[in-house]
Amino acid sequence: MNLRTLRIIKFSTATIAVVGVLLIALSPLIGEPIFGNRLWWIEPIAYIGAAIAIGFSAVTILIMRFENKRRWVTSDNRTWSQVTQDYFDTFAHDMGRPLRRILGKEREVRALVSETGGAPVKVVTELLNEIEQQAPNFRLMIENVRVLVDLEDADARPAIEPVDVAAIVRNVADRYVPIARERGIELVWWCEPAEFGLVYGDGSALDHVITNLVDNATKYAEEHVEIRLERNGSQFTVSVWDDGTGISESHLPHLFDRGWTPELSARSEKQSSGLGLFIAATLARRCGGELSVDSTSHGNGTGTEDSHTAFLLSLPLDNRANA
Amino acid sequence: MVSVTDRSTPTDHGRNPYWSLVEVLMASRSVGAGQKILVVDDEHMSDLMRSVLRRLHVDGFKPLVVAPEGELVTGDDYETQTLFALENERPSAVLLDVRFGEYDTDRFKGLSILNKIVEKDSSMPVLMFTQYAQGPYRDTAVTASLNTSANVDFIDKLASPEEVVLRLRRLIGNAPETIRIGSLFELDPDNAAVYVIADGRREIIREIQGMKFEILVELAAAMYRSEGELVPFSRLERFSEGEDSRASLRVRIRELKISLGKAVGREFSANELIINVRNRGYRLVDPG
Repeated sequence: MNLRTLRIIKFSTATIAVVGVLLIALSPLIGEPIFGNRLWWIEPIAYIGAAIAIGFSAVTILIMRFENKRRWVTSDNRTWSQVTQDYFDTFAHDMGRPLRRILGKEREVRALVSETGGAPVKVVTELLNEIEQQAPNFRLMIENVRVLVDLEDADARPAIEPVDVAAIVRNVADRYVPIARERGIELVWWCEPAEFGLVYGDGSALDHVITNLVDNATKYAEEHVEIRLERNGSQFTVSVWDDGTGISESHLPHLFDRGWTPELSARSEKQSSGLGLFIAATLARRCGGELSVDSTSHGNGTGTEDSHTAFLLSLPLDNRANA
Repeated sequence: MVSVTDRSTPTDHGRNPYWSLVEVLMASRSVGAGQKILVVDDEHMSDLMRSVLRRLHVDGFKPLVVAPEGELVTGDDYETQTLFALENERPSAVLLDVRFGEYDTDRFKGLSILNKIVEKDSSMPVLMFTQYAQGPYRDTAVTASLNTSANVDFIDKLASPEEVVLRLRRLIGNAPETIRIGSLFELDPDNAAVYVIADGRREIIREIQGMKFEILVELAAAMYRSEGELVPFSRLERFSEGEDSRASLRVRIRELKISLGKAVGREFSANELIINVRNRGYRLVDPG
């Protein structure tokens, strides 16, 4: 039973208890005395009212205690989810400190190298590129775990706000174009119509789903990644296409399972956490949409002309009705 | 007490090698056009922030760093000096961190500074640095509490300096007077002219006019907005004629490439300058 149902029951029992008190108060007007002597000279309706008031107050109190236990309300009125998120913020900030230092140094070295004009040893260039490429990986990993924590909160609802979805796609593309280029991949994006306008939905969830899909595509593509944003009736779609080797049919049913990665099934070194697609699909459903996949694989481990993978995210243009 | 450090004179930092790099590249300051950017971050001396400051310079912006002096600098000092600098320096945008110092009370000082800035001037573009975990969910909460007209965007502190400048540029929202295509060409949409740049001088390419010029503007605008943005065929159809619109477009683009190539004594191949991406549309790329 989730907290929302519990809250509805709590308000119902409390209302009935109030009705009980009202019955006691109104009994002289609506009832008839049943006993003649002065001590018991009370209408029966008052007895019924007292029983209702005491019984339902007790149930309400019990529900409130149970609810607090479920919600784990702290002394400063924070919920379990907020406390976890706060701890997570601190943890992520502290964990990011060494990474920020490493990344800062790497960018300084890169600037010095370009200033001196000499071509650095290949291994140095590779190291600098590796550090730069791991930064978005780290960002996404941390963000994935934070979203997982958030998804555990059964009461959390997606935000409904005006969202410039083309700007989100553009920002994600801007982040991944240089990474893709380093890997010899051309990443392009476009939206139709050109002036896409606003949609009503959860901007941060959308950003997160698209980031996961694009991150995935740049990992598996051979030469091309395409991100296409389109309007489709009362929905909009974001398609993320790559020309990689594709996903074999036997893998497709597990694609959105938590913790599943293709490397895991191939018993080779695990390159990803297997959380990205699970989170993307879960978030998409929570926002009133869905995530589907279309993939053609020739199973020989090399990209052929028509092997590809396309993830299609469909979401309502206006999610206010589902709020 | 110096409240705002003007980082526009690289020679002030003679010991730091990156400023000389900045000096060399100052000539290319076309994008930022000398606009002042107020940088409010207690870690402004960190390598990570230095790379952002350097990028701002290279792109022609003028970063002004808020740097309160004293032994114990708190978030309040940053707040006071930021508001002071806003009045006195009139920057075009603000780059603001969320976290200030190690005091617990200053954990989200940036958000309170943001609120003050928006109260003062809701049109002021503010780009906020967030730390991953304070990510999008919190961003939503912050923007919801702000005036709806506030011009605020959020970016991860680990983002590349190029990404930071790109987002800042978009937030400021000024359309450039001219668009540079790499170091070879410059486009002036208002005067319908495209120039070739040689030895620092501009020379007009007269062959490119009418529809060919409009195609180039469409492609260059997309490239300026976002490097990976493709212009799909549907958006280019109006520049074609006849039954086979794609073939007609292909011819126009080939002619455009030949004209541009002739101006610089080069022949651009299929994978240079204007690329047909998998028959989806065209994209302009830096010719190098």
